[in-house]
Amino acid sequence: MALTRRQFLTRTGLATAGTLFGPSIFGNPFVRQAMADTIGNRYLVVLFLDGGNDGLNTVVPFSSGALRSAYNSYRSNINISQSALAPYAIGTDPATGTQLALHPGLANLHQLYTLGKVAVIQGCGYPDYNLSHEESRIIWQTANPLRSMSLAGTGWVGRHLAGEYGGGDIPAVCISSSVEPDFQQTATSVLAIERLADFGFPYDGFDTADTPAKRDAFEQLYTQAAGNAQPIRQYMGTTGLTTLLSSESYPQAHEVWQTERPAAIRDAYAAVNRSTARDLREISKVIYAQERSGGPIPNVDAHFFQLSNGGYDTHSDQGGAQPDGQHYGLLAEIGDAIKVFYDDLVDMGVANRVCIVVWSEFSRRIPQNDNGTDHGSQGPMFVIGGSVIGGVYGRHPNILSLDSDENTVYSQAAGQYRSTDFRDVYGTVLKHWVNMSQASILANVLPLDTGNPAEYWTVPNFDLGFLP
Amino acid sequence: MPVNPGAALTDAHRRHLLRRAGLGPSAKELQALGSASTRGEAADRLLGFPAKALKPSGREFENLHNNWVKALLKSRYPLQAKLALFWHDHFATGFSKVRDTRMMGAHIGLLYYYARGNFRDFVKAMNRDAAMMEWLDTVRNGKEIPNENYARELCELFTLGVFDLAPTPQPNYTQEDIVQIARAFTGWRYYGRRATAYLEDFQHDYTSEFPERGPKVIFKTRGGFGPSGRNFAPTSGDEGPQEIDRVVDIIFEHTDSQGKNTVARRTAYRLCQYLAHATPSVTGFVDQVVADSNFASTWDIGALVRSILCHDDFYLTAGADYSASGKKSVKWPIDYAVSTLRLLGVKPSGKYFQILGGDYRSMLDHLADMGQILAEPPSVFGWDWESAWVSSSAMLARYRFARDVAAARSRAGFRPEKLMNIGLSNPASIVDAAAGVLGVQDHLTGAEKTILVNYLTDNGANPTLDLTDYATRNTKLHGLFALLMQSPAYQLH
Repeated sequence: MALTRRQFLTRTGLATAGTLFGPSIFGNPFVRQAMADTIGNRYLVVLFLDGGNDGLNTVVPFSSGALRSAYNSYRSNINISQSALAPYAIGTDPATGTQLALHPGLANLHQLYTLGKVAVIQGCGYPDYNLSHEESRIIWQTANPLRSMSLAGTGWVGRHLAGEYGGGDIPAVCISSSVEPDFQQTATSVLAIERLADFGFPYDGFDTADTPAKRDAFEQLYTQAAGNAQPIRQYMGTTGLTTLLSSESYPQAHEVWQTERPAAIRDAYAAVNRSTARDLREISKVIYAQERSGGPIPNVDAHFFQLSNGGYDTHSDQGGAQPDGQHYGLLAEIGDAIKVFYDDLVDMGVANRVCIVVWSEFSRRIPQNDNGTDHGSQGPMFVIGGSVIGGVYGRHPNILSLDSDENTVYSQAAGQYRSTDFRDVYGTVLKHWVNMSQASILANVLPLDTGNPAEYWTVPNFDLGFLP
Repeated sequence: MPVNPGAALTDAHRRHLLRRAGLGPSAKELQALGSASTRGEAADRLLGFPAKALKPSGREFENLHNNWVKALLKSRYPLQAKLALFWHDHFATGFSKVRDTRMMGAHIGLLYYYARGNFRDFVKAMNRDAAMMEWLDTVRNGKEIPNENYARELCELFTLGVFDLAPTPQPNYTQEDIVQIARAFTGWRYYGRRATAYLEDFQHDYTSEFPERGPKVIFKTRGGFGPSGRNFAPTSGDEGPQEIDRVVDIIFEHTDSQGKNTVARRTAYRLCQYLAHATPSVTGFVDQVVADSNFASTWDIGALVRSILCHDDFYLTAGADYSASGKKSVKWPIDYAVSTLRLLGVKPSGKYFQILGGDYRSMLDHLADMGQILAEPPSVFGWDWESAWVSSSAMLARYRFARDVAAARSRAGFRPEKLMNIGLSNPASIVDAAAGVLGVQDHLTGAEKTILVNYLTDNGANPTLDLTDYATRNTKLHGLFALLMQSPAYQLH
């Protein structure tokens, strides 16, 4: 009894939800029509490294020189030696000419780098950096360092989705038990799914002839709630209805993936067997359901995905280049998983249509504390995919001149150490991948800061160059 | 006066009180509340629990978890249990890093012991709690480079908050304050079976040994202490062991940009959110209960909770008002699951503590899928509340739990014939009776009742039901209970 999306819209009266009660950030019902910019047949995956990934030990100064010397002096116990880095060398820092290398744990990501599929964007940050995990994570997810009230409660991806999709659409999936703040908004439906296989709707098996009656009553109860004046009840209503609909389609996506994907691909995920690989496998299933030669699974049409991997808050026992070290294990987990996922996408023939953005809420303190690192400021981001123009972008943060808290300083002043604002990375993705116009991005998703242009993000650069 | 202990209570108010400040309005709880005729009397009755530490134990994490859930199911003092859950979110500490069930049990014991106790003493006890010392790296905080983890969360999460509650929020402290406070906690370790905290002298940051770090002064620019701030380590005498208490005393004197006591305001704000509704008015609710209870000077949590339970705003959501201002809150998963089992008399059983119906899943699995594993919060920030509980994944887990409970037909399972009159045949009366068992009668709208009546009658095909008939009862009455537990109204309170 799977509903088509059209029936769903008609039955629930949600067809115009996005314009009727979706609080578009400017409250203008015509914004949606104005934003005729869509991701098309491409996919976007956002991977969050939760806890504050140590950027300085992730993209490490490799060749000798001022940066390397400073690195050695700050990082004696968790030092990654030049010889350990040698096999994982990447491009050079445009600011200082220092050759860089990836942490040895990222060996598999380095393979993709050598294929030209990985962009390393150094030193991403924002003005007035915040050292609280929660605050900084929310700043990145809402793209709102200056805490503008008009942006509170909506995420950067969420604001795009709210402009493009309505209440009956399901354009995005978080591989999570909850909708993450970067995807939050209330105009359209974002699914939170941990495992597609477990997403079937539970009915009592006592008398299956009664199941249609139960289903109808459930649907009607939630339709009532979806039309309610109280926001939380309304949100519960739309969530319940999309849950019902998805429970009748997403498990099928799991089934076809299991039966139709090559054994080698399935085994490769199983061999990594860490949470990031398992979560990327779920994303693979949703993509495959739309791409398979046997025809798409109805009602599965999400193009935006979110996942996260935790444990990066390495205050102690961080480790250096040793494979049993904590940071090594964390980076190996994501590098290995991304490689398997990428190979899967190549096999599916969609690698050129998938882009993965990797971020963390902050980097870590430049000097180690003992065998770990405290919270810091700017760190590197990765953008990975078949269409990505690989290489090193942005400038290495200036570790030769730290602030009084021993963190690197965000600056928009022209010069050798000008910082990359993370919103320029988002903007480049939205413009060159999601296909939004620069004007629309600035108006609807990423409004500029106001303030001293040397210290704040007042001039956008949505053409960083890592996407064509 | 909005704090009105003398205001009379209706039956709907009593049910509301037991939903919000208890673990569900069961017949037994309602009877216990029976003769309390005013807000004040009812609050006093709920708050009349002994200050006793309940320490769940067990060899493995799963045992500890299940023993805590078991204690919630049996709790004679539902408000104490409910407050302990609030403090668990507030001081969110997880087994995954503590790795010791005894220490985790002792930590949970503090949450019960201080549930309605003195908040300042509570925070000082947390300074020395072994599980907390592991969780936030106090045990790895040495003099060479002080580890800031505990100092930061002490300020950000346990007491002050990053920003104050003024209409234009102002920061409550600076990074320099965190650096200085971290020095107070250097060298603290624990030893022995009871995991007693002590100061390892040679690991402590003494001002004389690190003169370049300056005097141990905090809040030079925030908190209303003036430009000289406050020194937490007097130069003569007790530099060292007393510092962690002095830091707390100073934090508790901190005033915000509006001159209000910062800790009192923020703690009251969060308790109002938890007990009353998601968006309490700062001046129209929070400041009033702080003033009424003298919380900013006595730090008496019980008095603060009493003021909240006597405030008009607490009773705003008692009825079926779903207007835009109704402000209902989403039940926490643990509240949803535990109150359901208490109301229905269903007991998880066996080694795996399972619900014996549907998929026969363990309580741990059910709760994990709903998004809340006790003693294992997602991070030090605790759980995200309200709409964060309402994701497709978490809702599906609630629907599954409801199905499993309603399908648990064994002796320890769901026996509606013991909870309501199955001689009823009128479908509307059956819906009312079942809604009454689950305490959701105040929140169902007329339209929703009609939907449920239509379910029972198959849209009028069977205008009356014979619930004494085994098949009818097991199909339609069990189905009705599942739908009620799955309904939007039942997720809110």
